Amino acid sequence: MDAEGMRLLAAGLAMGFGAIGPGVGIGILGMGAMQALGRNPEARGPIMTNMILAIAFAEAVAIYALIVAILLIFVA
Amino acid sequence: MAVKKFWGRMSKKARIAIITLICLALIATGVGCFNIADPPHVELAPEALWHIGGFPITNTMISAWITIVVLAVLCYFATRKMKLIPRGLQNVMEAGVEALANFVDGVAGEEKGRKFFPIVATIFIFVFANAWLALIPGFISIGFWHEIHGEEVLVPLFRGANTDLNVPLALALISFVFVEYWGIRYQGFLRYMKKFVNLGNLVGSAKQLARGKVKSSLGLLVNGAIDAFVGLVEGLSELIRVVSFTFRLFGNMTAGEILLGSMMFLIPWVVAIPFYGLELFVGFVQALIFSGLTLVFVVMAATSHEEH
Repeated sequence: MDAEGMRLLAAGLAMGFGAIGPGVGIGILGMGAMQALGRNPEARGPIMTNMILAIAFAEAVAIYALIVAILLIFVA
Repeated sequence: MAVKKFWGRMSKKARIAIITLICLALIATGVGCFNIADPPHVELAPEALWHIGGFPITNTMISAWITIVVLAVLCYFATRKMKLIPRGLQNVMEAGVEALANFVDGVAGEEKGRKFFPIVATIFIFVFANAWLALIPGFISIGFWHEIHGEEVLVPLFRGANTDLNVPLALALISFVFVEYWGIRYQGFLRYMKKFVNLGNLVGSAKQLARGKVKSSLGLLVNGAIDAFVGLVEGLSELIRVVSFTFRLFGNMTAGEILLGSMMFLIPWVVAIPFYGLELFVGFVQALIFSGLTLVFVVMAATSHEEH
């Protein structure tokens, strides 16, 4: 395989594997938030804001993978 | 029915503004149908437009200054004729600042909140304004054609300041210094440094060894080694914070910009609009996270371990 193909493959793998963890993490976060909402529907506001904040943390990991992929495709 | 009621209640100015906006949108659609967008040209480093004595003027720098000017002008007009019962712009600004102040007070408490508020709120407002101004039409799309690596590419005149790695890095460093400063201010230099370099048990172990008590010396040695390692990890995490702050903001904003560019290229105009809504949301959340994390870290640094 030539260097160009290797680079594209690396970018795809980086993004693909990098998305697994955050995907699972966001799923667990959503599950926790839904359960909390089911038990205590009045606390909708705080649950929502805290869930979004926590999701942004999990999402940041995927963003790191995305940066690596972008660097591989466009810059390297 | 509801629309009619709402329309009737609006002032004449608001009605004219809405009709103008709809007309502009229709014209833009008409133009957009014929003008298919180019595939997005991704350049991670900001492009230098001019050089003044070897000092590059980059497009992100221009938009950062635009953000600053917009904020300054807004604040000037909001505070020009201040009233006890605010109306219009002053009302909007006061509501925003009050919401921020409540947020800071809620996390840090009344007394510390007053001290942390200026920097935390400034970070929020700057990141937020940068992110939202970058969504205005004209950002990215207006620019000069330059020849780079043998192909003609559009070098944009304005580009969202958050998509320049230097801006998030600068903010992260400010937040780092801010956290350390208040940590030392509240706890004292030696007590604060104890978090990173904790050699109390190691010294105790050496003392026991000198007295000939080998067994208790060994126990203290193990504890001392754990303490030293924990201190090292604390120190490292403090430094890694800067990196993660930087790349979280930079990555989110750059990814958003590329996403919008790709959507414009794939299906012009209509399909891209929901993604603009998404980017509005992302800009707000990232600003909240950047300032919120700074706030949480500074509160953590300011409260000593003995207190909680």
